[in-house]
Amino acid sequence: MHATNYKLTELMVVRCAKEIKDNEVVFAGVGLPLVVVSFAMLTHAPNMILFTEGGSIRATAPPGLAITVDDPALFCNGDATFGMLSTMAALQRGEVDVAFIGGAQIDKYGNINSTGVGDWTRPESFTYFAGSGGANDMATSGKRVLAIMPQDPKKFVETVDYLTTPGFLDGPGARERAGMIGGGPDVVVSTMGVYKFDAKTCEMYLAEYFPGQSVEKVKANCSFALNVSPDVRETTPPTEKEIAVLRNIDPTGFYLG
Amino acid sequence: MAVNKLMTLKEAVSRHIKDGDTIYYGGFQIMVPMAITHEIIRQKKKDLTTVESSTDVGGLDIMVGAGCVKEIHSAWIMNWYVKAPYAVRRAFQSKMTKRYDLSNFAATSALIAGFMGVPFIPVRGNIGTDMLKHNPVDLTVVKDPFTGEEITAVRAWNADVAIIHAQVADTLGNVMSWGTRGVTDEFGAMGAKRGVIVTAEEIVEPEVIRADPDRTVVPYFKTLAVVHCPWGAHPSACRGYYGLDIRFSQYQGKYERNADLLPKFLDEWVYGCEDHSAYIKKYIQKFGQEGLDRLKPTLGFKPKYQVDYGYHDPGVWKGVPQYTDEYINA
Repeated sequence: MHATNYKLTELMVVRCAKEIKDNEVVFAGVGLPLVVVSFAMLTHAPNMILFTEGGSIRATAPPGLAITVDDPALFCNGDATFGMLSTMAALQRGEVDVAFIGGAQIDKYGNINSTGVGDWTRPESFTYFAGSGGANDMATSGKRVLAIMPQDPKKFVETVDYLTTPGFLDGPGARERAGMIGGGPDVVVSTMGVYKFDAKTCEMYLAEYFPGQSVEKVKANCSFALNVSPDVRETTPPTEKEIAVLRNIDPTGFYLG
Repeated sequence: MAVNKLMTLKEAVSRHIKDGDTIYYGGFQIMVPMAITHEIIRQKKKDLTTVESSTDVGGLDIMVGAGCVKEIHSAWIMNWYVKAPYAVRRAFQSKMTKRYDLSNFAATSALIAGFMGVPFIPVRGNIGTDMLKHNPVDLTVVKDPFTGEEITAVRAWNADVAIIHAQVADTLGNVMSWGTRGVTDEFGAMGAKRGVIVTAEEIVEPEVIRADPDRTVVPYFKTLAVVHCPWGAHPSACRGYYGLDIRFSQYQGKYERNADLLPKFLDEWVYGCEDHSAYIKKYIQKFGQEGLDRLKPTLGFKPKYQVDYGYHDPGVWKGVPQYTDEYINA
């Protein structure tokens, strides 16, 4: 039964989790991705393998909410905890199926900015965020990239202020020319809908809009000319059962709000 | 030679950190060397350069806010509990602190190159991004000498001094850490030119560490100073000792947010505390013993397999004849 009372973050997490297949190696960044991977492992992907930057490699969902990527929760009953070298080296060896990241700004080729907004060459104009963290490494070498991020016209932009994490760079063939081993962006889940990328043009298109949204509303919150799938549809809301599992992962609402 | 390196936080920082030093800043989102951070601020160290992969809970942020840092080389600086590094942001905008960005694994690789004693190391990330454009100090693109293909090269980082927090150390300077081996601390510490300052939750006899040397992340010869410092990573977590103090990080973050407020936090919690135990006393005063008790972890995640390193004495071969076919047939 579909839930009638759920938060936007909960919808995003459940929808995002559906992009993870069982048996995949998923490298999760800090934030909502940590909730998504736990949810996937506890529902449809019990054989998923979780990697984090802190160096945790595990076959089971952590015993409680992992707030950080080197959270003590990730090391209780972990399968291996060698430190950052071991998990990030696996990325470079091409062993990670899904690189799962957040971001602050994105363009139509899925290039992501998590460094800051403004003009970097004029420091007084630049508002620093955290920086790349592992997002760049994950998106360079993961077989496919899953991104989860908020949407408004300042976040879905024609050109990112600072290119931290590569999408398809300036279009078809650019990743290959740069020698990247990973396949690039696959799916983006925003606060308004779900996006995929055209295999030929490498451009992002709207595949789904969330309940309560519409193609028009989504377009109004995107600063580039947004392509829309001819099969665009409304996202199926989460079920009561899914929401119950989810709230059990983050009972204080640290990430879910 | 066995030298007792146990000293106070004050001695460790005044003896071993000089103005203008490059510091490996230990930890990640947990195990942040907060007690050493506070002491560096208290002693008003100047013109420091920091190198590390990623750092959370605003430790580096308040060190920058206190005016100790001129250059940062990092992938990610945060107080995750207020979702920004406010003092770093202000210091960048006012050009007080220069920032050199690179990816997490580029930073880790820079530390590994320093650890290995080689001048640079190739990594797969960073190519095609603005980090390469804006950080030519740490990053460039080179040709693979074997295939001719382009790949990012990262400069090796060898700090002057490494500052780390660990669960256990002995007085000689052997450092033991478990659960991710300190994330990148074993590389950052071993690559440091002068050596390592370590704060530890507990000080044990060298025999304790020598009975389980797989868990040693820094062997004693690299260590300059050992400081017994319970809660030395607070408000970040220390595996097996305490969890993240989310509420305190949020509290500290409110002060980081504003240039006029941050000095008030520093006056109260850093300059106003003689050392780290005074800081913890103040914490108990303000938030109660229950505030501290709330951070205690659920224990019982202990190894189930009792390891035995098992020594075999080669003396058993004394008098045993060579194994020959004659020996077998005899």
